[in-house]
Amino acid sequence: MATTSPIKIGVVGEAVLLRNVGKPEALTVDGYRQRGGYKALEKALAMDPAAITETVKASGLRGRGGAGFPTGMKWSFVPKDPGKQKYLVVNADESEPGTFKDRVLMEHDPHQLIEGSAMCCRAVGASVCYIYIRGEYVEAGDILERAIADAYAKGVLGKDVLGSGFQLDMVVHRGAGAYICGEETGLLESLEGKRGQPRVKPPFPAVVGAFGMPTVINNVETLCCVPHILERGPEWFKAIGTDERNTGPKLYAVSGHVEKPGTYEVPIGITFHELLDLCGGVWKGRALKAFIPGGASAPVLLEKDRHIKLDFDTLAKAGTMLGSAAVMVMDETASMLQVAKRSAKFFNHESCGQCTPCREGTNWLEVLLTHASHGEATVQEVDLVPIVAKQIGGNSLCALGDAAAMGVGPILEKFRDEIVAEMKEAAARGPVHGPAAHGVAGRPTLPVLHGV
Amino acid sequence: MPIVTIDDRQVEVDAGTNLIEAALGVGVQIPHYCYHPRLTVVGQCRMCLVKVEGMPKLQAGCSTQVVKDGMVVRTDTPDVKEAQRAMMEFLLVNHPLDCPICDQAGECALQDYSFKHGMATSRARFEDKRVYSGRERIPLGPSVVLNMNRCIQCTRCVRFTAEVAGTGELGFLQRGARAEIGTFPGRELDNDLSTCVVDICPVGALTSTRFRFAERVWNLDKKPSLCTGCDNGCNVTLEHRRGDIKRYKPRYNPDVNDYWMCDYGRSTFERYAELPRMLVPRQIKEGQRVPVSWDEAVDSFHHRLRGRTEGATMFLGSGFLTTEEAYLLAKIADHLGTPHRAVWVGESKPFHIPNTHGGITARDAAPNRRGAELAGMAPREGGLDAARLLANGAGDAGVLVVADSDFGPGAHDPETVARLRRARVLVVLGWADTPLAQAADLTLPVATHAEKEGTFVNGQQRLQRFRRAFPSTGEALPLVEVLATVLKKLDPSWQPATAGEVFDHMAASVPAFHGLTWKHVPPTGVPMPEARAAVVG
Amino acid sequence: MPAAARVKLDELRKLYPTERALLLPALHLAQKHWGGWLPEEAILAVAAELGLPPAEVYGVVTFYDLYHEKPVGRHRIRVCTNVPCMLRGSAELMTALGEALGVEENEVTPDDRCSYTHFECLGACEQAPMMMVDDTYHGDLDAEKVKAIVAGLE
Repeated sequence: MATTSPIKIGVVGEAVLLRNVGKPEALTVDGYRQRGGYKALEKALAMDPAAITETVKASGLRGRGGAGFPTGMKWSFVPKDPGKQKYLVVNADESEPGTFKDRVLMEHDPHQLIEGSAMCCRAVGASVCYIYIRGEYVEAGDILERAIADAYAKGVLGKDVLGSGFQLDMVVHRGAGAYICGEETGLLESLEGKRGQPRVKPPFPAVVGAFGMPTVINNVETLCCVPHILERGPEWFKAIGTDERNTGPKLYAVSGHVEKPGTYEVPIGITFHELLDLCGGVWKGRALKAFIPGGASAPVLLEKDRHIKLDFDTLAKAGTMLGSAAVMVMDETASMLQVAKRSAKFFNHESCGQCTPCREGTNWLEVLLTHASHGEATVQEVDLVPIVAKQIGGNSLCALGDAAAMGVGPILEKFRDEIVAEMKEAAARGPVHGPAAHGVAGRPTLPVLHGV
Repeated sequence: MPIVTIDDRQVEVDAGTNLIEAALGVGVQIPHYCYHPRLTVVGQCRMCLVKVEGMPKLQAGCSTQVVKDGMVVRTDTPDVKEAQRAMMEFLLVNHPLDCPICDQAGECALQDYSFKHGMATSRARFEDKRVYSGRERIPLGPSVVLNMNRCIQCTRCVRFTAEVAGTGELGFLQRGARAEIGTFPGRELDNDLSTCVVDICPVGALTSTRFRFAERVWNLDKKPSLCTGCDNGCNVTLEHRRGDIKRYKPRYNPDVNDYWMCDYGRSTFERYAELPRMLVPRQIKEGQRVPVSWDEAVDSFHHRLRGRTEGATMFLGSGFLTTEEAYLLAKIADHLGTPHRAVWVGESKPFHIPNTHGGITARDAAPNRRGAELAGMAPREGGLDAARLLANGAGDAGVLVVADSDFGPGAHDPETVARLRRARVLVVLGWADTPLAQAADLTLPVATHAEKEGTFVNGQQRLQRFRRAFPSTGEALPLVEVLATVLKKLDPSWQPATAGEVFDHMAASVPAFHGLTWKHVPPTGVPMPEARAAVVG
Repeated sequence: MPAAARVKLDELRKLYPTERALLLPALHLAQKHWGGWLPEEAILAVAAELGLPPAEVYGVVTFYDLYHEKPVGRHRIRVCTNVPCMLRGSAELMTALGEALGVEENEVTPDDRCSYTHFECLGACEQAPMMMVDDTYHGDLDAEKVKAIVAGLE
């Protein structure tokens, strides 16, 4: 049973990751094989496990979940101790606002993920693989479970993978609605049956991970690249992209004010201008105001940045990030105040609450921006937003604090005057009291008497 | 052992020591809330952020360990101070301005760190402060009250009930800015150690039902003492205002009670105020119980002991006797040649206090049966034990000396009082004016344990010394003084008059105490050299 | 815990080293059985099944957005209002639902049929604005389409 989601994709050059989109026959082992699948796994099973890791290293593959950490290097951190139980946990929690590419991969090509995961397990010596999928992805989870059942039936999983003697169990583990479970240690806590509250690092998961054992955590798209790297060679992968540190085909999830939102597979490092073109440009013939290149955690970029290359290093140098490659586009009518406020609300809602700066800081950001949105903040309070953001970043227990700081602060820094003007307009329309005019606490705020 | 440099000072520590502990070694106190040496490290509060050379971001001191030589740490850089200021600001955005009505004031980490590391002004709106409606004064159980608005979500209490008490009544609920601590609906926080969460709560979110609004902590005189609720011998800080004890808090002793004590123990001082005190010596003259002077009382006591009336002379003590008091009683009994000396002790609930060596569990409902028996208050051959003494032994007594007017329920129970009253002469020494005392021919008022010094030997054969917290009331005297005076009348060669002198005399003559000296009993106590006396240990 | 759930959990026990790791799956199963939400008895049943303190299980239940402590409608509607959907008109969907159902967000209609709430990014931004009805995503919506979908719910 294929997905009911409408297919909204685009490809430049060859469709590698997206080659089975719209091809429901690929949902079975037999169909996937017929379309060229599981050859890479056979090849990997015949290799020395360490060689698999070296191949992935050589390809320059970097994590596609948000952090961009070199994948091969991460695998090599797993201790070689053969007696120890090891795990692969697939991070299918995909909750970064604007991101939907993993969902597309799982809905249309579950075996690509199964194959890449199996190859990782072989490389590091993991005998159990948990696919932690966000609870909201019910259909994708069902599709994965059916594919896994078929894989067991056809000997791709279980006691003797493809006759190699290698044992691998795989199971889908559904989350229950928490963005913080996309953070690798928050995910591990949730997998272990607890609140998804990130852990202190070190120790790192490669050494102490799921259930105290060495664990690799990789994003869905990252693992989907692995079969292709093994089959076609790391040089092929490296040849695609910007340079040897930004390699391979990349999925970009484009949303917002564009004609054709969707999942686009292009060589990594495409410029935003080119990508926007692929999407049919800004919708309704409007002008571009701003875009966020990598999910709600990425600092916003302006129209003047439109020719920037969307790869890890170029964006990092420009003070933002590729992150999950979720590109959100805003046209000239977009209210940057509302975007900032909605992002602040998101981070406040998703903060796990453990650490002081994130718990109190994200709440304060939402409160300040709500006051501004209702036209009853002072200009000093508007200017306080990036200051508070800077107090959160760098001090929190995990990266959510940094994400909140980066997602909200730069919007205020780059659109300050526009936001202040918008706030004054709202004030002129009359300040809002009642249930809408409060922060998280749920109490109405008094009107601010000193002028805006 | 690796050496770490903190603020230009070097210190050698065990590998694996975290920076908060290491810094104490050079006299630097890194501020922190969520860290506690007995709870898992969570690194949540972010108050302990410090600069570690070579690491770009500030590191949490609690979760950063010294593993090898060469680590260089600074706790005083502008970045560290800014982080501390920022954490304080964040905590005070929502924390209510409750200091004027909050128990914690004066012993509040939030106050202290705010003063030292925080800001003098607020940039947040007062009316935006988060409120947990209906959770401002929630009894979590019989011993602890929660004000969730004050909570700083450090989760010490949650980790305590899970890891130390092992009862898991508290959970960390909800998420983010709405996160709160609480029980499962309808269930209570009620275990033997419940009130410990009040001790470890850095702010006034958790308060003790017993101590709520009782006293401002800066009015309290704080003295080290021991709990007398059972034979665990937990070390406490006795906190009083002019002789009125307001609170016991556990005092750290890694060999006995670690950082903890039980709820019951915390209540035991209340007895001193609940029961009427004996303030002056009294004697029954012409059917009336009249006050007499100490001189007359001691003379009368001496005279009755000397006087060879019919029947045996018997001494009944309790587990509340100090070792020194017991020794003097035994010496008097020896001098009179009577085998009848015994210590009555009730059975305690098995209060268990965790520590790093498996913990301690109570058996006796009093602190010093062991010390008293080792010092000589166990019956000699042919002597009655406490049970028989209480049952019917008094009938054969010419003189029965009860050295504790509140030794247990018997002192209040008419039947037991009647049985003990069958002694021809009943002398009662004690602090409480119980029915037993009121039935006695002669009563001598003595100090409570808060008003004297002495030693107890706990259930783990540990000798601990405690000191006087405040002077006694009325004309009550320390029992050691009274007994020494009486013994000197019986035996003019007797010298030791203070608890210390008595202890050293005992250590020289009783094998169980050989090698110990009063002056050199360490602050955390000392294991008994060899507790091999014919006592149930 | 209902027998069917126990059977499922027994299968899962083979794949996890601890009882505690079964908590999220157990809560999902329990919630399905108890009509889409988790009353106290459900939480206690799960706690007993896995040998966990009720307060701990309660802490897990209240942490996650997909576990409901209060009754929900037979049909649960979640409208994404995060940035990409907001940019393409999610506010309109919320208003339409309010009009179609006659209740505020997080309230249940008097006939227990529906409840709705705004939600964070559901990972379907290419179909913005969108909403999730029970286990199904509905995208590329407007007020009219929302009302049509709601009308078809029983």
